[in-house]
Amino acid sequence: MGLRSGVATTAGKFSQWFLKTFTKGGSSLPGKIALKIDPNVLDSLAKDYEIVVVTGTNGKTLTTALTVNILKEEFDHVLTNTTGANMVQGIVSTFLQDKKKKNGKNVAVLEIDEASLSKVTTFLTPELFLFTNIFRDQMDRYGEIYTTYKLIVDGASKAPKATILMNGDLPIFNSVNTINKREYYGFDYEQGHNLTAHYNTDGVLCPHCHHILRYNMITYSNLGDYYCPNCEFKRPKLDVSLTNIKAMTNISSAFTIDQEDYKIEVGGMYNIYNALAATAVAKHYNISSDKIRRGLAYDEKVFGRQEVINIDGKKCTLVLVKNPVGLNQVIETMKLSTDPFSLVALLNANYADGIDVSWIWDSQLEELASLDIPTTISGGERHADMSLRLKVAGIKPETLSETTSLQHVIEEIKQVPTEHIYILATYTAVLGLRKELIQQGFIKEGM
Amino acid sequence: MEQYNITICHLYGNLLNTYGDNGNLLLIEYYAKQLGINVQTEIVSVFEPFASDKFDFVFFGGGQDYEQTICSKDIQHKKEDLITYINQDGPMLAICGGFQLLGEYYIGANGEKIEGIKALPHYTLSQDNNRFIGDTEIYNEEFDETYYGFENHNGMTFLGEGEKPLGIVVKGFGNNGKDKTEGVIFKNVIGSYFHGPLLAKNKQLALRIINIIMNKKYNKTFTMSDLKNV
Repeated sequence: MGLRSGVATTAGKFSQWFLKTFTKGGSSLPGKIALKIDPNVLDSLAKDYEIVVVTGTNGKTLTTALTVNILKEEFDHVLTNTTGANMVQGIVSTFLQDKKKKNGKNVAVLEIDEASLSKVTTFLTPELFLFTNIFRDQMDRYGEIYTTYKLIVDGASKAPKATILMNGDLPIFNSVNTINKREYYGFDYEQGHNLTAHYNTDGVLCPHCHHILRYNMITYSNLGDYYCPNCEFKRPKLDVSLTNIKAMTNISSAFTIDQEDYKIEVGGMYNIYNALAATAVAKHYNISSDKIRRGLAYDEKVFGRQEVINIDGKKCTLVLVKNPVGLNQVIETMKLSTDPFSLVALLNANYADGIDVSWIWDSQLEELASLDIPTTISGGERHADMSLRLKVAGIKPETLSETTSLQHVIEEIKQVPTEHIYILATYTAVLGLRKELIQQGFIKEGM
Repeated sequence: MEQYNITICHLYGNLLNTYGDNGNLLLIEYYAKQLGINVQTEIVSVFEPFASDKFDFVFFGGGQDYEQTICSKDIQHKKEDLITYINQDGPMLAICGGFQLLGEYYIGANGEKIEGIKALPHYTLSQDNNRFIGDTEIYNEEFDETYYGFENHNGMTFLGEGEKPLGIVVKGFGNNGKDKTEGVIFKNVIGSYFHGPLLAKNKQLALRIINIIMNKKYNKTFTMSDLKNV
């Protein structure tokens, strides 16, 4: 470590200690300070680690958590960044506070925001990139799917020797050549033929001849065993395949990957993809099935990802929603519930949520109409937009109530006729609701 | 209640569907149902012909740059039929990219000139590293109606001869950020840069569009009081 990065590291560590001791903060400011002193500080901080990077629109956080859990079974020390610290400063902070092993193998599994990937790979050299998916997401911030994809491909090309492990079921991942070698994971079950994706789905054009893609099998959105009806373009050969789903509920799933059975304690098809992605990383490192099984058995809940909160006896499942594909998958997961439930939908439009709320019109909320939900509460700053969307989706107006304050939402939750409640909320609405729940003593601080 | 039937063409519905444009169709269906109108929707996409006499309404949304470029090539094969439909007073709602493609041309993301179908005389330039994003409000003097929406576009559209704006900008940028116009009215075509919530926030405009369709086909118009739930 050179003098400059040494000073930067010390300053960063000191500010981290200071912030932790005297305030509750500390997740990104120390990184900012260290970067200010030495823009190359990451390079020296990360040099003794084998680095795996997880990026993509949906599923980053849970995939990272599952991957960490599996790799912990195999390696001496596994570092990861906490939720929300997935941009450059947060990553520097993560390395600053880590205590690596002097002997043995240090691994870092980093969740990195799509737009930050290129900045991060300027300074550190990952061995493996995991691309979960690219869907339309907060387009006022990220732009279009092709732009986002170019960002992450360019980001990976700065570590040309690294392999990109990608979702083979997503056509965009096969649309351009990459400098990096590619490996694919995907689903191989229930073959049909000649299916097309729902009309309001992105990325369904053949990149070669511009015909609408068809599918032998669709899992969700535009994911599946795709082929072009007009030319040779089709899904690449999979390196890791999921061949069977044995059980899938709203709270857990059991499935088979490369002849081995696994289980996860989180519901829905989209989380099976996250587990498959984490398993594919493990297989890349030749980790045994037993270790993978133990790693996937993880059941701590991650921020806003199906955590269950008890509010005066009401079991509330809190789910973060931020884009149409994610919301559609949450609705599909709710459909698997065997218990009757009420629904709370909280829509905010702050910068972190995306200031454009039109995406709610791109999701298939119509699916809710068939579920016979006795009470639906719409809330958040944009409750009026949400209410109209729900009515148009077929929610009966007499079952719909609308409220502005989050405090009032909690009061209304206590009155619903069901024991189970799904709360779907955008990012700042999750934060606001959690804050209110902490104040009222329903959850503890810190998660 | 009397029953009516209308057939809607969702032009490139599986490709041009960005920013919740589809919400406009969902809202038309929602209100139509309350008025006893059965709606059938058909997507006409790439490599498929558009039949000018088959539809009572055409909805034409906007898309991502890539999809829009592909559609701009394909639409040249549908050009004559679409012009026939528009000249026969066919009702249409065109949002963002759809609005641009009805005109002379627009400038794409990489600065290239992309031909429209020239059914309407407007043209669209692009801005360097800037988008018009935010809540917006316009006023239509002829109808004495105010419309609210959200815009997010790079294009600057300039209206031509025979085109009236959908409204005059009260708040926001509108067609080009310069002349205070927003959207277009040309025969029975309405165009706008407002997306998704265009009809969500503007039920009078939704009813106006339904009345254009119903007036032409059944010589029938509805009033706001005919709607049970708004």
